[in-house]
Amino acid sequence: MPSLENLTLPNRQFALGLGIAGEGLKYFKYWIVAAVVLAFLGPLALSQTTEIDLSTWFYTANIGKWFTAFVAGGFLYALVPNMIAAGLTRRELSVAMGLFGLLWSVALGALVFAGLLAERAFYDAMGWTQGVQTGDTISALGSWSDTAVFAAVYPLMYLAYFAAGAVIGAAAYRWEGSGWLLLVPILPVVFSLDNALYDTEPFGPGWMGFLGGFMDEWGRVPILIGVVAVAAVLGLAARQILIDIPLRSKKA
Amino acid sequence: MSFSATLRDVTLKYRDSDALADVDLELEAGKIYGLLGRNGAGKTSLLSLLAAFRKPTSGEILVGGEPVWENAGIVSRVALIREGGDFDDSDTVKSAIETGQIRPGFDTAYALKLAERFELPLKKKVRELSRGKRSILAAVCGLAARAELTMFDEVHLGMDAPTRDAFYKELLAEYMDRPHTVILSTHLIDEVANYLEEVVILDKGRILRHEEVEVFQNMGATLTGPAAAVDEIAAGLEILAEQQLGGTKSTTVAAFEAGTRERAAAAGLEIGPVGLQDLFIHLTEPNRNGA
Repeated sequence: MPSLENLTLPNRQFALGLGIAGEGLKYFKYWIVAAVVLAFLGPLALSQTTEIDLSTWFYTANIGKWFTAFVAGGFLYALVPNMIAAGLTRRELSVAMGLFGLLWSVALGALVFAGLLAERAFYDAMGWTQGVQTGDTISALGSWSDTAVFAAVYPLMYLAYFAAGAVIGAAAYRWEGSGWLLLVPILPVVFSLDNALYDTEPFGPGWMGFLGGFMDEWGRVPILIGVVAVAAVLGLAARQILIDIPLRSKKA
Repeated sequence: MSFSATLRDVTLKYRDSDALADVDLELEAGKIYGLLGRNGAGKTSLLSLLAAFRKPTSGEILVGGEPVWENAGIVSRVALIREGGDFDDSDTVKSAIETGQIRPGFDTAYALKLAERFELPLKKKVRELSRGKRSILAAVCGLAARAELTMFDEVHLGMDAPTRDAFYKELLAEYMDRPHTVILSTHLIDEVANYLEEVVILDKGRILRHEEVEVFQNMGATLTGPAAAVDEIAAGLEILAEQQLGGTKSTTVAAFEAGTRERAAAAGLEIGPVGLQDLFIHLTEPNRNGA
């Protein structure tokens, strides 16, 4: 990690957060490029046989949520023994992961924002409709500003998914064999907010977003506040699990 | 500056069982310690506490005079190298070494020099390394950490004899060059005995003995000479080990009194120090009372 060279004790947690974000994006760069290319070439290929009225970037962006959760959980699971053994404190690791989560969510969110707007231009040029699946119907996103508003909340959603993944990753390391069960209370909360925000079913076991049906009428701002609150609570929970986590004994 | 280490009334429980119970231990700065104990005696648990890998159930742990837990200024200068190292297996060897840079004192150039000397393949993934090479990687990272308290927990496992010898020599050279505190936990006692200044023996989660090496070595003696003469002198003494080649016999005995020493000398026997390993086996004998 080049960012770790010549670091000092007070700044190493920030250097590490920056370094992990950079390394993470570098590590997955081909996946990300492939997703971007597919998001544009997919509808072009499909248009030969069917009419295009769904946004491909909507699907790409949704896959990005799961991807983000896996990255957070997987990285944290691997970094706990690695970094603590290298002389980092748990507090420093939690700061580094927080910074990583922010940078990752902003970077991926910015990519999705740009992708959805570029797709909008692409679809307009091809005479297609940029729509999303809402229940059994397809809803067109509407104007350019509607597309922008729709896309603008992705960084925040990624942050919530990142925090959820981090909690589960930390718990899975701490309570071997049972920590992952924290999925059970976390997934319905995150899925329901996702469901309520976009009025669509999240990818995966969408039924887990059943609470979203009760939040639909809250309006966008209260739901966004809810996403921020859930991301913050999950972030604090991850830190709390991490703060006195013991390193596992080595197995022969 | 090297770190001292202090454990005050430390207990560590794993569920209901005590891995360590009421441990009090004072390790002075700037020495090489051997940490000995049978399997399950609590050696790894004790080292894990000193490195803040885990928190004690009760008691106080000070390193360099400060609490070690969540103390960045201390843990960044404490290195515990466990068997096989704590690496991300998907990393390359070079990346695994560079991860050490999280310690401000880490000497990357030295690590790369050692990697070359021990023929570590920098581009290979950690998961592709043999057990021996993985142990070497761990040892290299431990040495290059340039920590004030460096602990090696069975790090030699998988290393062949020449590599172990080279590692001990490098460890000693690094120690001479930059005095610091070193703790070696190992079952290959006789291999490291010459490097140690003090020895701590753990048994069933408690400190059994903590002495200078010379004190241990004077707790008994090895008598070598004609078999009949050795047997005569050793009669009635507690025998720790015996070896015979033709008519020559070598017997290690415990609790060697001054009078017995004179009789052995008069009988023309060669009197040597007791082997640390033999003494360790004797002291940690399960049936032994009041060790």
